[in-house]
Amino acid sequence: MMKELPEEVLSLDEKIIGFIRKGLDHQDSEAFNELALQVFDLQFKYIPVYRRYCEKRGVTPEKISSWDQIPPLSTDVFKVMEISMLPSHTVRTFMTSGTARPEEKGKVGYDEGGLRLMDVTIHEAASTFLFPDKVKTTLLIIAPSPEMVPQMIMAYGMNRLREYFGLPESRFLVGKEGFEVKVLIDELRRSEKGGIPVTICGGSFGFVNFFDHCREKKLRFELPPGSRTLDAGGFKGRSREVKREEFVSDCEAVLGIKKEYCINLLGMTEISSQFYDNTLESFLKGLNLPRAKVNPPWTRTQVVDPDTLEPLPPGKIGVLRHFDLANRGHIAAIQTDDLGRLASEGFEVFGRSKEGEARGCSLTIDEMTHIKKES
Amino acid sequence: MKIIEVDAYYLPKDLGDQVKDFRTEVVEDEGVAIRLKIPTVDKILIENLFGYLKKSRQIYLSRLPIKRIINILDEASRKWLDRSYPYRELALKTIPVITGFSREVVEASIDAEMESSLGEDMWRALCSEIKNPLYLDDFQYSPELKGYTRAYGPEAIVSIFTQNIPALPHLSFMRSALLKAACLGKGATGEPTFAPLYLKTIEEIDPEMAKCMAVLYWRGGEEEIETAVFRQADAVILFGGIETCASLLEKIPRKVKALVHGHKLGFGVIGRGRLNRQGLEDLAQAVAQDCSMFDQQACLAPHVYYLEEKGKVSPKEFCEALAKAMEAIHVKMPRGKISSGEASAIHQLRGRYELRELKGEDVLLLTSRHGTDWTVVYEKNPGTFSPSPLNRFIRVYGVEDIFQILPILESIGPFLQNAAVAIGDEREMEFIKRLGELGVARITSPGKMSVPTMMWHHDGISPLASLLRWCDIEKKDEIGGI
Repeated sequence: MMKELPEEVLSLDEKIIGFIRKGLDHQDSEAFNELALQVFDLQFKYIPVYRRYCEKRGVTPEKISSWDQIPPLSTDVFKVMEISMLPSHTVRTFMTSGTARPEEKGKVGYDEGGLRLMDVTIHEAASTFLFPDKVKTTLLIIAPSPEMVPQMIMAYGMNRLREYFGLPESRFLVGKEGFEVKVLIDELRRSEKGGIPVTICGGSFGFVNFFDHCREKKLRFELPPGSRTLDAGGFKGRSREVKREEFVSDCEAVLGIKKEYCINLLGMTEISSQFYDNTLESFLKGLNLPRAKVNPPWTRTQVVDPDTLEPLPPGKIGVLRHFDLANRGHIAAIQTDDLGRLASEGFEVFGRSKEGEARGCSLTIDEMTHIKKES
Repeated sequence: MKIIEVDAYYLPKDLGDQVKDFRTEVVEDEGVAIRLKIPTVDKILIENLFGYLKKSRQIYLSRLPIKRIINILDEASRKWLDRSYPYRELALKTIPVITGFSREVVEASIDAEMESSLGEDMWRALCSEIKNPLYLDDFQYSPELKGYTRAYGPEAIVSIFTQNIPALPHLSFMRSALLKAACLGKGATGEPTFAPLYLKTIEEIDPEMAKCMAVLYWRGGEEEIETAVFRQADAVILFGGIETCASLLEKIPRKVKALVHGHKLGFGVIGRGRLNRQGLEDLAQAVAQDCSMFDQQACLAPHVYYLEEKGKVSPKEFCEALAKAMEAIHVKMPRGKISSGEASAIHQLRGRYELRELKGEDVLLLTSRHGTDWTVVYEKNPGTFSPSPLNRFIRVYGVEDIFQILPILESIGPFLQNAAVAIGDEREMEFIKRLGELGVARITSPGKMSVPTMMWHHDGISPLASLLRWCDIEKKDEIGGI
């Protein structure tokens, strides 16, 4: 039997959960800032290596008054060590996919409280951005189940969506034999006939494979109104890159799902919360806002200069830095290597910044990785 | 906005009207716009150009004495070394904007390339590869053969440039001229301005020789053009990444000789005998020089420096000295601008090392005060070779015994190229022998990694002799020789 989380942790989690449960329209910067500082306080206290990292930068809980003064850690750090607030309480460890470099997977440990925080964010964010119309759908998930891949955070999250929002027939469609295309096709036909809308969700590339398959077999679906897609992950590390416009036009052409019902999600192993597109929410509210990822009120995103790491104004492209209250269990401030920019509605993400093509004649890390894979 | 117009091509004057249309590409940075004039290349232009180059070569360059050729090339190098030379001035305006390299880095690159390309270097390079440069002019007596022999260069060489190292493309034109071959260079997207300027210099000195040389640009992978180009060439010199070279090699007809200079890795090794207090600063400065030249982007640059433990100075102490030297060089010769991805990669990697250091691991991270200008990392040899993200990011690995690194190097044998070695005791020669066996193509001293001589067997091959054809006269004198 694992011992209880410390009282101060439990009580902070309660406060954070209360804040998250107030929903997506509840903007209270002061309360957010207050909670962010409390999260930092505990992470500074409990994680010695992070404490030293902050002290080296002259930052202690007493010295700062705003969330944006909290020193962020790079996502790569999780590849060389496990950083959790309470490592002995870790109940679940998620790993990054390591698509770019399979030998280097980042690991993030979650305690009970951390999982609970994540669950609440999944519920709140999806209620607003994925199911703002409260339509009940069958979730068809192009991903393996959490039992198959306990370390994959996407499988965990999709499973929660299934539990919270899915009709009983909802299911995972990647089994031991791989992607069960036939099952998906059958389910889609059933939905067409029965008029019960579906939510197809999974990794972006799974969709692309499915679209390729449908084109080859000349398959087309006219899914009932209310059906939608949720794709996550983008195309990093894939040989083929697909533009968003191409993706949504395929959704319409193959599935009969309108572009407003195609929602992209930015999820990361290092971030407990999820960043959804505003597409459906904005459409249903009749706002027609430009597509962007929205920060739920319990998160913040900054764009920083890739060289100096100084914050950049809206519109300028830089690397994304996220701050997430739900990351209480590890590190709240995370420096990614995703390129993006702030937009009026939230932020845009352009994918992982590549090290760049070789400019000189020296062998690059990417070439080296390629060689290792081939040999 | 200051606008500089510059040609991203060079065609012999007589062919000026062959180009139907030009497009302009604009590169901007900090108030300077470089307008690159780029001719549209098609199959007909390629065919006409080769006809012209080959004819010019036949009536002029093939008959030009090698000493005269060397004098012309020597004069070109000396012009480029002259700080007031207008084309050098122009290159120093264009290349930093196009490549992001600082002006100082570009200057240092031009100096390094041209200082090693003087008349005496060329003469010695020929002597080293073919013994007697006069073999290129006429039949000469060969004492080994006890008869006469003569060397013939290719009619036309194509050189594909893909990298942005300033002043490097001149090597292919120089080598082609030494072989009395016409040469077409394909400009690199990363830096298309130097080669045309270099050919203008040749034109200034000897307009007839310049008629045997050209630079064009087309998008890599344009089948029709590449097929036409390779069909006309006798030899191809390729510079580029592994994939680029592999895909180009597939298109080159078998009868065409190809010299491939793929992307390579450099490293350095310092033995405990050389890690003394005395000379520490000089040694650190030398290593910093190796890591900073060309912003570490040349294949000559080190990714890793291996330092042996139990010297008078520990590898960690050496890193402190190295960090000071890196900063000093950065002040004199600032690191250039790098892409978002490159900068982000450096921060991410720094993050890993910083956390490991803070966790109490035997790691030391030393960085420039601002941004990503330079990074020095110390750790104990992890047993694998990790390529650097470049742009002045050097790992120093501590090793108990320098011979322990050999199995690691073995695993990347085909990519090894340039090594700085300073062991400082009787093991040095044995160590060098082992590096040679592993595939290392050049061994030099710390501080000299970026300045190979013309005599170097570039990437382990004889860049001149490999492209020659010979005719030997083995007639016996008594039967009636020459």
